[in-house]
Amino acid sequence: MRKFALTMFIALQVPVLAWASPNPKLLIPEFAGLAQKATDSVTITLDPALLSMASRFLDASDPQDAATQEVIKGLRGIYVRSYTFDKDAAYSQADIDAVRAQLSAPGWNRLVQTHSRKTRADVDIYIMVDNNQAVGLALIASEPRQFTIVNIVGAIDLDKLHKLEGQFGVPKLDLDAAKSAPKQQDNSILKK
Amino acid sequence: MNEASDLLDAEFARARSGERTALTALVQAHQRSVYSLALRMLGTRDLAEDLTQEVFMQMSANLRGIASNRHLGFWLHQVTSHRAIDQLRRRSRLPMASLEDGAEFFSAEDQTDPLLQRHLRALLAHLSPPARAVLLLRYQEDLDPMDIARTLDMPINTVKSHLKRSLEIMRAESTRISPERCEDRST
Amino acid sequence: MSEDFESELRAALRPVEPSAEFSRKLLANVTAGEAAPRKPRKLGPGAGRPLVWWFTASLAACLIMAVGIQQHQQQQRLRQTGLEARREVEQALRLTSQKLNLAFEAIKSQSTATDEKSGV
Repeated sequence: MRKFALTMFIALQVPVLAWASPNPKLLIPEFAGLAQKATDSVTITLDPALLSMASRFLDASDPQDAATQEVIKGLRGIYVRSYTFDKDAAYSQADIDAVRAQLSAPGWNRLVQTHSRKTRADVDIYIMVDNNQAVGLALIASEPRQFTIVNIVGAIDLDKLHKLEGQFGVPKLDLDAAKSAPKQQDNSILKK
Repeated sequence: MNEASDLLDAEFARARSGERTALTALVQAHQRSVYSLALRMLGTRDLAEDLTQEVFMQMSANLRGIASNRHLGFWLHQVTSHRAIDQLRRRSRLPMASLEDGAEFFSAEDQTDPLLQRHLRALLAHLSPPARAVLLLRYQEDLDPMDIARTLDMPINTVKSHLKRSLEIMRAESTRISPERCEDRST
Repeated sequence: MSEDFESELRAALRPVEPSAEFSRKLLANVTAGEAAPRKPRKLGPGAGRPLVWWFTASLAACLIMAVGIQQHQQQQRLRQTGLEARREVEQALRLTSQKLNLAFEAIKSQSTATDEKSGV
């Protein structure tokens, strides 16, 4: 009995093992109902095989293609769902909650949470970090007539993503400033 | 909407219905994964190439038995792992090619610690073939333990035991080979 | 150190490409079995009849042509898949950047509002 108790005690001290690692790949619902209502929808599912094929068709001698190759090297998936509607409030936050709930799981850190009065857009950006390296990115953008979910899985090099500045219209995003900037300035734009 | 994944599914359907030249797309999409798994299981490029070819020849002969392109990934992992394990059991040990051959183990642009790179083949050699397969399916292919268990037809607890034990062995060997790795991390 | 090790292991074990020469041989071998023309069948005692041989040879030629056309079509489809994947990568990155821009603009306007409030 003592031996059993001792064994159990030791077993409970075993550190968290590999299979307890959080998963940067989100389970994104089909949104079939919303897709029918949308005037435009974007569904992108790029697994490692397709990313590999895409990389082969990027021209390394073209600066934009070369920069894209650098960004997607080391990625294991890019998943996008974006729906556009012809009127405001055609979707509810509940539709996105199933995704948002996954981002409160251990491993995900909210990098930025913004609300713009001008565009009435809410953008939340989450990062999953493993030993000081970003291994997952999730972005949820809610606008009056559009919502977008982006999930990027793999070794995201934020510097290289930053270097896409000027290409694809990527802004000069000072992520350090984003981390240190106050998330809300007044309570009227506080998100729960 | 015409997604790239739909196109690959369409290629799979064409290959499965008898349009055998549609195999090209499937081979190109999956060869990296199969080859890398074979290479790191068997240890040398020649053996890995032979196994990779066997696997894809078997795939082309058995496409009708595979339900979808998504299942194809699972099938390729399964066949590659089982064949590699069988080969290793027949040979009873991993052929230890010189460490100078280690370059082909890794991507040319890899930024991993070169000491780890240099000794990774030796570290893998310490593992039994099933344990090696579990480790590679976890850290190379990013499969979760349940998928690994299904792929290798192995109980989930055995998968977890292999992972735990393999990491312990590899950490211990890594420290033994290059103790400064631990010292640097501790500063 | 333990956390470092798993991350380094994952990074070190990223899949690698086989050599281009091997890839070419692999594709050739995998498709070769179906692409190879069938040998003409012997038809018993009359196997040497020229008409039969001509017919069989013509059939083989048609098969080769059909396979060649099929391979060309296959190459076109493969190209289409690869180009579609590339297009989707670009579209995904473009969408991501648009939404990052939304966030950036919101942060910038908040910073400006704060500066104005504090008289900066």
